[in-house]
Parts: sequence; C-alpha cells; structure tokens
Amino acid sequence: MADPKELYDAILTGNAKKAEAVTKEALAGKTNPGELVSKYMIPAMDEVGKRFECNEYFVPELLIAARAMKTALELITPHLIAQGVERAGRVVIGTVQGDLHDIGKNLVASMLEGGGFEVVDLGVDVPPEKFVEAAKEKDGTVVALSALLTTTMTMMRTVIDALQKAGLRDKTKVMIGGAPITQQFADEIGADGYSDNASSAVALARKLVQ
Amino acid sequence: MAIAGLTIIGESINDSVPSTKKLFDAGDEAGILELARSQDQGGAAYIDVNVGPRSPQFMAEMVRKVQAVTAKPLSIDTPDPETAHSALEAYDPAKAGGQKPILNSISALREGMFALLQVRPFRPILLVSEQVIDGRSRPCRTAAETHAAARYLVGKARALGLGNADCIIDPGIAPIGSDSEGNLKRLIEAMRLIHADAELAGVHMSVGLSNFTVMLPSKRADGSPVKGPLENAFLTKAMPLGLDMVIGSVKRKYELLPADHPAMECIEECLKLDGFEPIMRVRDFYS
Repeated sequence: MADPKELYDAILTGNAKKAEAVTKEALAGKTNPGELVSKYMIPAMDEVGKRFECNEYFVPELLIAARAMKTALELITPHLIAQGVERAGRVVIGTVQGDLHDIGKNLVASMLEGGGFEVVDLGVDVPPEKFVEAAKEKDGTVVALSALLTTTMTMMRTVIDALQKAGLRDKTKVMIGGAPITQQFADEIGADGYSDNASSAVALARKLVQ
Repeated sequence: MAIAGLTIIGESINDSVPSTKKLFDAGDEAGILELARSQDQGGAAYIDVNVGPRSPQFMAEMVRKVQAVTAKPLSIDTPDPETAHSALEAYDPAKAGGQKPILNSISALREGMFALLQVRPFRPILLVSEQVIDGRSRPCRTAAETHAAARYLVGKARALGLGNADCIIDPGIAPIGSDSEGNLKRLIEAMRLIHADAELAGVHMSVGLSNFTVMLPSKRADGSPVKGPLENAFLTKAMPLGLDMVIGSVKRKYELLPADHPAMECIEECLKLDGFEPIMRVRDFYS
C-alpha cells in the first residue's frame, strides 16, 4: 500500500500522475479520505504557499501543485460527500463587467480549488446581477472580483452595491484583486478583503469563511 | 544596443510598476522625470505614460512635465477616454519634433476612442486580443479570431483617414509561466496571419514584452538570467512575423538568439506542447 506521505510530496512537487496513483491506492486501501485531505493535501498546499511567499516557488510551481491537488481532490470528493464532509467553502469568482482579462482570475481560481474550495467561475465580463444570482445559491459564499483596468475597477463597487440591494451583503464576503487594486481601494468600496497574489488569496478566503 | 528594426516604447512610467507607483504615491515628480530622461538616453523611441487611476488633470500635467524633459514622442497609456482626451490636449507635437503621440490602446470594446482623433492626430495601438461578436464581448481564443479582430480595427482606422502605417497592432501577449491555454501558439500564429495579409500590409506590430516573463524568477538555478533570454527568444521568433515594436525596458539587452540557445529551445518546445506542459517546460528551463 502507498504511503499517504507520498501524496504530500506529489502535490509539493506538482506531480499530478503520482498524486492520482497514490490517492487511488490509498482510497482502495480504505485510508480515511478526510484524513488524506487534512493531514497531507492541505499541508502540502500550505507549504507551496509558504515557498511562494519566500520566493522559493513561483507561479509555474503554484499552478502545477494546484493541478496535482485538484487531480487528487476529484478522486476524493465523492467519498467526502458520502461522508457528509463539507468543502473549505464556496467561492464565486469572475472578472467584472467590461473587463476581459482572465489570467489573474484563473490563477486565483486554480489555487482556491487546490485549497479545497468549491469554485464557481463565472468567467470574464460578468455583470453584477450574475454575481448576485450565484451568491444567492448558498449563504456564506465568498464573491471574488477581479479587474485589470482602471476603467473597470469601479465596477467592483457596483457589485457590492448590488449584493447589498439584494439583501445578501450580510451573508456574503467580498474579496477583490487585480493590477490596479489596492487595500485602500478595497477599504473605500467596502470589500472584506484584498489580495495581491494567488497564494495569499487562498489564505484570505479561508479567513473570510471562518 | 537594441535590435535593428525594433522600436522600443519605454515602459517605466507606469503605475502598475511597483517602484514607479511608489514615486507617484509619494509625489516624487523628480523621480518620475528621471525615468523619462533615462529611457530617452537609453534608446526608447517613445516614452509610455500611464498614471493608473489618477485624474485626467493629473495625466495632462504629467504629459506636460515629461515633455519638458524629453524630445521623444509619448505613448499615452490609458483605457479611459477622458484621461486620454486630457493627455492628447496637453501633448505638444512641437516638443517632439512634430511627431504624433501613440494612444495605447483602442480595442473593439472601446472603439469610441477613435473619436479622440478630433482632439489630436495619434497613432493607435489596436488591441486585437478582444472582440465583440453579436454585441457580446470576449477574448480572442484563436489565431483566426485575432486576425479577424485586426482586420476589423484597421478597417475602422482606415475609414477615419489613417493609413496602415499609422496602425500598431497588439495581438496580446500573456505570461508564459501560466500559459495552460495555448496563448503563445495563438499569438505566433496570429502574427503569421496578420503579416501575410495583403490588406494589412505596412501595419506595425507591438506587444508588452515584459508581460511575457512576469511571475517568473529572475535567475535560473545556475545563476544566469531567466527573463531576458526568454524575451529575446520571443523576439527571435516574432520579428520575422512582423513584430517591430515593443513596450519594453531600455535596460534589457534585447538581442536575437541562435536556434541552439536554451531559451530558444524552450520556446520552440512550448509551441509544440499542450495544456500544462509549456508551464512545466518553462519551470524546467529555470530549475
């Protein structure tokens, strides 16, 4: 039987094939799926995040590790659902209306998936009402907004206003990011959090769902 | 020394560059103007000016101040029509030897900015990585879509009296370190189509070259640089396909690379790979 510790190493090194093989073997060997996630997979992604913060890892390593994590999670999730184990949280993510940039948004979505979140990716050029609609589906949803242009960043305030009007603001957290975004801007528009990179976006989302 | 035939639009005066943002935030005008001077002396043919979300009045003031220290024409870099309007009004061609400024940029989503030609003639950068089809906007995902977007916007420019030589097409470059969707392949093939299109003969092509290597480490495991060689490899691949301008750094030693250079081999292999494989190939290049 595979040593589940190998799953930790596979995610840390971004070896998706190894992660898949070890996960299959561990599940066949009746290893507790929740334990696989909490003892090996999330710690591996936490370590990836730490290495990114200290410039030992860069975006390619983040993406490759998140893919390995996702590969393992796809195998484990049906078992977790059967056991009634909840995901880390639910995030509705999208680039705001008028903005077609998706690189940063995709990066954050990948890392959130790798971090164990259910991610609903609405794509680019997303009108405020789409965010509202998606947030309505579950209380406690985190709405993650991305913008790259100075002309579209103001749309983030419009989304927050729309959530307020729909009576969802108290049940929803809003996090924002993108090249022109700052903590000051986040504070000005009443967002709950701001992150300037994909790794810390996961830590922020975890904090917001606590 | 830059590559012959490659025009550099100096990228440094841009609010999204962290060190420049600090200068803007601190009101360090002397620091900003020093960037203009050093890029002028370093060989930039144009000086890009991007003030981020600051006001149109601030942009106009910045245009006047930068023009006071350089005779190079400016590239007015904003997606905001009002900010662009103020900048074009403030721009003085006489201070740039009569040369028109560049307006960076017009896309299918903001065609209305062509109306700014009435404020002052300019050379538009036409961002053709975005399209509007049946009223719906979306990114161009294929080379054919990118080529069609180029034809569309150049057609619009020509209808307003501009010539192909006034148009600078930006087919959109994305970071190679996160390219899991074949963007480099789309870009290279799009440039090939644009370059071969008789309708588009004489247009210029430009990319924001530093975006190609953003999010990568500065050094390989052996201590040699990562970004410069990969950017040079891109230039080597793209210049024969019509790329003749970049928004880039005058500090980089841009040069064409031989086919057996490791960065060249990396880029060539990335063009043959799919999905996450190019990202892994880039990681192998610097690891």
